[in-house]
Amino acid sequence: MQASLRRHAPFWISIAVGLAIWEIAGRASSAAFMVPFSTTMVRFWQLVTGGQFIVQFLDSAQLFLTGFALSLLVGAPLGMLLARVRVLRIGVEPYIMVLYATPMVALIPFILSIMGFGFAPKVLVVFLFAVFPVLYNTVEGARSIKPELIEVAKSYRSSEWALWREVMLPYTLPYTMTGVRQSIGRALVGMVAAEFFLSSTGLGQLIMGASQNFDTGGVFASIFVIGLIGVGLMRLGLAVEQHFARWRQ
Amino acid sequence: MPELRTSSADSSTVMASGGEPRIRVRGLGKHYGALEVFRNIDFDVGEREIVAIVGPSGCGKTTLLRCIDGLLPHDAGEIRVGREIVTEPIAGVAMVFQHFGLFPWKTVYENVAYGLRMAGASKADVERKVPEFIKLVGLSGFEKAFPYQMSGGMQQRCGLARALAVEPNVLLMDEPFAAVDAQTREILQFELLRIWEERPTAMIFVTHSIEEAVLLGHRVIVLKGRPSSIHETITIDLPHPRTRDTLREPRFAELRERVWGTLMREAREAEFVLER
Repeated sequence: MQASLRRHAPFWISIAVGLAIWEIAGRASSAAFMVPFSTTMVRFWQLVTGGQFIVQFLDSAQLFLTGFALSLLVGAPLGMLLARVRVLRIGVEPYIMVLYATPMVALIPFILSIMGFGFAPKVLVVFLFAVFPVLYNTVEGARSIKPELIEVAKSYRSSEWALWREVMLPYTLPYTMTGVRQSIGRALVGMVAAEFFLSSTGLGQLIMGASQNFDTGGVFASIFVIGLIGVGLMRLGLAVEQHFARWRQ
Repeated sequence: MPELRTSSADSSTVMASGGEPRIRVRGLGKHYGALEVFRNIDFDVGEREIVAIVGPSGCGKTTLLRCIDGLLPHDAGEIRVGREIVTEPIAGVAMVFQHFGLFPWKTVYENVAYGLRMAGASKADVERKVPEFIKLVGLSGFEKAFPYQMSGGMQQRCGLARALAVEPNVLLMDEPFAAVDAQTREILQFELLRIWEERPTAMIFVTHSIEEAVLLGHRVIVLKGRPSSIHETITIDLPHPRTRDTLREPRFAELRERVWGTLMREAREAEFVLER
């Protein structure tokens, strides 16, 4: 108990100091630029009780989950396929590299002009943000498998299907999960970007709307919540990754 | 009894069982691209015989073993196991790998069950045999352990159990004790002898260690040259079962010196050959 207290004390002290600085800085500056922590919390509570926040949160969650799920469904199987089929990998890899390296925000005007406003183009943005870490890590993972393990499978006369089920998939899963963890963060960025630059909805709209109304408290409350969600999702991603990587030393 | 043998094989008897050898290698040759690894390899392994293969590093011992398992194609000659001609891995042959080849995400139990499941064993069969073979190699109580939790010796016991569980009539051992420490290696050698006495099979044992080859083998094949071929086949006429006492017999020392002499001359020459 005491040991755990000593271990966690620096964390909580750091958080308290951070909030104190926020509070002091907020009180010292104009409400047009910044509001203190206490005001942010009050405004947050108003948004929650006013019902606005829940509606926008659910809206964002729907976008996030759809885009993220799609990136998993495409990224992981495509990654396995690219790792195993050499011709395909050589053909597709340059496009993946270019798209992975391109800041996705730069593609948003293009997506807007082609697909217009609506749910689908926003899902596409989240998808493009999130798919590459899953894809890339899956390919790299599946390719790093020790040839000896494939030999073992061959030596025991494994069928191709059994090779995938018993060897390739379980070996690659932890790598895919590393990609999933990275993708969670990027999907969140993609979600906010899509809500800013395409049809304005969800938590993104909450920030934009508050900003246009000079409601600095509302802006801070929304950012604060998105940050918290981000941290929560990252922790979740890490837990998932570690669960699947138990056997890795 | 009459035996079919070629001149290159030492005319030792095929142990016990009589009749056809279990493994028959004739005129085997293998290239990696332009590099010729070995050529004209001829030898037999009896139904209940351990043949040890020694040779300098890079002489193609492991490649030869992989060809016999059907993991690598050969480009000259023929390998027969029983009546089958080997072109791909066949049933009844199991290999034990130098780096154990365990699946790190599978427990001991699941690793041992793997070979049986791939061989299409029924669920009841798997449930009956896996504990039996885990017990045989002395791993009872560690069924749920993962490879990373175990020492090298325990991992190779698991690898051995996986191979034995399919009840092969041929065991191919690819320097199986090279990756464990010296004491563990000695323990495992005698464990292997004990298990082999209980369940004799045809076995090819590839090793760097002369002592190991002489202790385990009924015959020791020395590979030499580049490309390598069989330089000498030495019959190890030590009595069975072999135990720690075998190591103290004068005849053991004699045979070890004999293999050593043959091999070291080769190793000395091989060491000072520049790679092309």
